[in-house]
Formats: sequence, structure tokens, C-alpha cells
Amino acid sequence: MSVGVFEYLLHGNFRKISVETRDGNLVAREGERVFEAEVRRITANEIQFCFGGRSVRVYLVRDGERTFVSVDGREFAVSESRPEAGRPGEVDEKTAETSLRVRSPMPGKVTKIAVAEGEEVRKNQTLVIVEAMKMENEIKTAIDGVVKKIHVAVGDLVDAEKILVEIEPEAA
Amino acid sequence: MFGKILIANRGEIAVRVIKACREMGIGSVAVYSEADAAGLHVRLADEAVPVGPPPAVESYLNMERILEAARATGAEAIHPGYGFLSENAAFARLCEERGVVFIGPNSRALGLVGDKVRARQTMEKAGIPTVPGMTSVATTLEEIRAAARTLGYPVMVKASAGGGGKGMRIVCDEDGLVPALEAGRREAKSAFGDDSVYLEKYIEEPRHVEFQVLADNRGHTVHLFERECSIQRRHQKIVEETPSPALDPELRARMGETAVRAMRAAGYNNAGTVEFLLDKDRRFYFLEVNARLQVEHPVTELTTGVDLVRQQILIASGADLSFCQEDLRQRGHAVECRIYAEDPKTNFLPSPGRIAFLREPKGPGIRFDSGVYEGFEVPVYYDPILAKLIVWAEDREAALRRMSAALDDCAILGIHTTAGFLKDVVDHPEFRAGRATTSFIGKFFPSWGRGEEEEDRERLALAAVAYEALARTAGPKGRLGRDGNKDGATPWTTLGRWRAGGES
Repeated sequence: MSVGVFEYLLHGNFRKISVETRDGNLVAREGERVFEAEVRRITANEIQFCFGGRSVRVYLVRDGERTFVSVDGREFAVSESRPEAGRPGEVDEKTAETSLRVRSPMPGKVTKIAVAEGEEVRKNQTLVIVEAMKMENEIKTAIDGVVKKIHVAVGDLVDAEKILVEIEPEAA
Repeated sequence: MFGKILIANRGEIAVRVIKACREMGIGSVAVYSEADAAGLHVRLADEAVPVGPPPAVESYLNMERILEAARATGAEAIHPGYGFLSENAAFARLCEERGVVFIGPNSRALGLVGDKVRARQTMEKAGIPTVPGMTSVATTLEEIRAAARTLGYPVMVKASAGGGGKGMRIVCDEDGLVPALEAGRREAKSAFGDDSVYLEKYIEEPRHVEFQVLADNRGHTVHLFERECSIQRRHQKIVEETPSPALDPELRARMGETAVRAMRAAGYNNAGTVEFLLDKDRRFYFLEVNARLQVEHPVTELTTGVDLVRQQILIASGADLSFCQEDLRQRGHAVECRIYAEDPKTNFLPSPGRIAFLREPKGPGIRFDSGVYEGFEVPVYYDPILAKLIVWAEDREAALRRMSAALDDCAILGIHTTAGFLKDVVDHPEFRAGRATTSFIGKFFPSWGRGEEEEDRERLALAAVAYEALARTAGPKGRLGRDGNKDGATPWTTLGRWRAGGES
């Protein structure tokens, strides 16, 4: 019998899950929820769960801290540790200087920078346009404030989560 | 027959054409941008030629570079696929001038159907129904009122300088006409500096039904029945099927004949598609011609047994059609789902990146036309289509069940895809009932998120990751007590979905 408790991040939410395995059976618990199934490893990337008369194949692949999992054709990215910041494109956690970091929600190419450093911006104003796969995505500020720093230039290729602009909130 | 064909495209459609060439004993030349050096089409083609930097305008749309690649490799014909140069009359003309065969319609027909106004005029002259409307800009209120009565409500006020929905107003009855005209003119004035408007019949919740046509160089023209493409998101088709649940044999025959007549009127040759809007009262209107092989062509192939790419190549090489209209039959039902690199959870933001794991669905009646492979880095520069999942079965119900099961069985990891969303679309009762119109996605999927089933899947995903982590770390940790599950006694008897833990 094996027992373990694991802490994960899924869709930005913290999840704590415990598992026990014995004789090809698995019991997983998350808080008050319990899940039991027969479990069998098929290949390095394929696990079979049998429960309620149904068999479900789950595919998974590890990529550094993350594991990508496919269940019924849907993919989930499960992280082992908390990433440095919250959801992209939204207001981030405040830094020591209380400025707000606006991040790219997707990998892409910076096609336009709509503001300048020192400029006052209003909530929902477009800061940067990032284009990927023929689709333009306007990155906006979620707060009123002043553009403190612009971290990218037109033509830059950016990864998801890349900090694009820092906004100094308007003094209350 | 050609000895060698250059494929001026990338992704799944380039792969599709390369495979057709191989089967026909024709050499294939791929072209690729710097972002696609590791592309699947490059790996599969007999030869591959780089044509420029990643942006399409500098590579896949660079006519001179592509023609130079054809010259250098000795390719006698160019297959443009869809998108990129496929409907570019100037490119077709350039090919004709350079003595390279453009696998598509002649440049004159391509120019004609590509110009919406000229196409509409040509169709009207040929007696083909178009969306009714005023042929000139409205002047007096009386004139407009009379026109609205003739067209029949509802009508749509449109700005003649229009575009992007600006100045557009839907009018349901005569009382609404004056306010709509005023609002339309105001909006048109501020958007375009021109307040002239005209009226068009408003087609409510139309279906999008198109007919596949093949025409050889001697004018033999046949249609290969319809494709129903009403399931659209941002005016982009995502699910297509044939036959259309909205047609009966009589209407199908009438629309098919109209499609053939439309293509003859345009002097069209090779493969093309005539798009129609079909209203609630089963009236149909010519919309436009798609002068290329279409993304959704496989559903026609599976139900008619005709290989459209092979036919395109045969026609371009000067062969006559080897079958006539009477030889063609629709058999069974086919459905296609387009799998895009987009995240349905974040309103379909593009999701380029490395495909860490790929498992293609397989089985009877399942076809997977893919442009990617495990380990491939999906570039940020191009259309997000990764692959098309196409299924065939004896009837619609069986085909939709097969599609649903095949989507379950499709695993693409490392990036986000639309596969899970497509499954919900295919399983939706309204779609199952065959009632979906172009408003379907906006109406039934204003957003897509987590239902109870999705939460179960999430937990199953977490359990799988934890199971794997446990196997890796190996050996009992005995940390369960810290987690509040102090009972320790675990029943191994009942197996089931996640449930509240209390009763165990």
C-alpha cells in the first residue's frame, strides 16, 4: 500500500489531494470528496481507471513543473507549485512598490503599444495589442493609474505570462 | 499527367495534397517559412523549399518566391490549398503567364466570383435568387416605405458605405422603420461621414448550406450535394455535416441544379463551392462562391466516395470528368469537427506552443486529417487549425455518437484545443435534433465553463497526476492523518464517481 498527499494548482486554484493505492485499486480524497477506482498503468502516458462499470483512459505528460492531462478529450494543466503570479491580463498582485503588472494572456507578437510611459490611463483602456494566429488581442488595464514602465516593444515575441506593462495605481 | 506538383500551403491541407500526389505517383514539393522548417508537410513532401520569413506576406503569400520555387524544382503545377493564394486571381494569372498550371479555376472566373458585386449581378442575370434588396440608395421616406413593403418585413437598414455592422438596423414592422432609419443614418454619418442607407431583406436565423461543384475544362459540371455549415463561431465554421438535416430530396435537387447553373454562369472550372442562405420557409439565396478546395471537403468525400483533391489534379491536367450527375449518390452521414489551438475557457484565445503528447482517435469510420505531430511547436503566425476529425456512419444519429466518442478519444496535450468544447456542441440536444442555425453558438454557448461533469473530470485529472507522483516517489508516506482523514479505514468495495466522503 502507498499513501501520499499532494498539492497542486489547477486553473489558478490551489488543490490538495491525498491518494492511497493497494492491489490495483486507488482511493483519492479532496476535502470531503472521495473517489475510488481500479487503476492500471497502460503506457508511460496512459492510465486506465475503472469505476461504476465504466473504463476511462487518462493521458498525461510531464513538462517540468506541470503535468498536462487529458480526460474525455479535455486537457488540464496541473502545476506542482504556485506560479509567481495570478491570472494573466488581469490585475496582478501588488509588488513592493504597489505597482500592477499586466501580463500577456497568450504567446504572441506585440503589434501595437497604445500608451507611453508616464501616461495616465483609465480602467479598460487598451495598453498593448498582442497578435497570435491571425487574432488580435487587446490587453487592457483593469484600474485607473499611470504607466510606470513598458517592458516590450513592437515586434517582440512574448510568451504567456510575460509582463507587458506596469501601472502605478492612482493615489486613493 | 503532371510529374511534380508544388503545394503552396502548410498544415493539414498541405499534408492532404501531398498524400494525394503520392497516391497518384506525382512528385510533391513543399514550401515553408522559417517558422515551419519542422512542419509536417516539410517532412512528408519529396522536396521542400524555404520561401521566406515567418509572416505569411513574406513567405506563403510571396508569389514570386513561390513561382521561383516551382521553376527551380521543375514543378509543372501549383496546388494552393485553401486560404493564402488560393483565391488570388492575380496569382492564377501569373501562373498562366509563366506556364505553370494553377490547380483551381481559370483566372477570369476567379476574378469574377471574387468580386461580390459582379458575382451578384452575374447570378441575378442567370436567374439565381440573391438576398432581395434595393438596388440603389434610398432617398425619400415614401420610396423606402414602398421598398420595405415590397421586400416584406423584417428588413435590414444598411449603410451604403458600410462595414463592420455600423449603421445596420433590423426593422420588424412599419412602426419601427422611421426610428431605425434615423438611427442608421446617424451611425453611418459618424462612422463613414456618409448617411446614405438602403434596405435589404433580413433573413432570420438562416442556415448556411453550401453545394460542392466539380467542373472539367470542357464545361461538364456536376454537384456533389450539400454541406451544412451552420455551426459557426465569429463567422468561422467549426462543425460541418452532410446531408443537411434541413433539406429534403426535392429541395436538395433544386439547390444542386441552381449551384451548377451558378458555376456555369461564372465560366467556372475545377472544384468550387456555392454558398447559400436558407431561411425558415425553405427559401434559399445565393451568398457567394468559394473558389477553392474547402476545409470541410472530407465530409463530401466520405458520403460520395469521390476524392476531391484527386479530381482537382485530374481536371487541372486536362482530364474530363469520368462520371456524370446521375452517377453520384449520397451514402450515410458524415460530420467534421475542426480542432483549433484555442482555449475555449478563455473565450477562445489562441494557444500556440509545443504539442507534448498526441493521440489521434482511430476506429471504423474515423478520419483524422492532421498537420501536426507529437513534439511539433505550433507557431504563432498562422491559422490556429491543428487537425480535422471527420467521421462517417450509416445515419446522422450514429455519426454524431461516433463523433462524440472519437472526441473523447482524442488527446492533444501541451496546448489548449477546442476538442472538449466541440464535444459539448455535438452532444447538445438542439444540435442532435438537427435544429441548429447560425445563431446556435451565440444562443446556447454564450460562455463555456465548468459544469458538474467538468468538476469530476478535473478531480480525475488530479487523481491521475497524484497517482503518477505516488508511483514516482514510491513507498508509503503515511501522511494521511495530517489531511483530516483520521479514520484510516478505507472501503475498497464500492467503485464509483466522486461522492461526498461522509458515508464511507
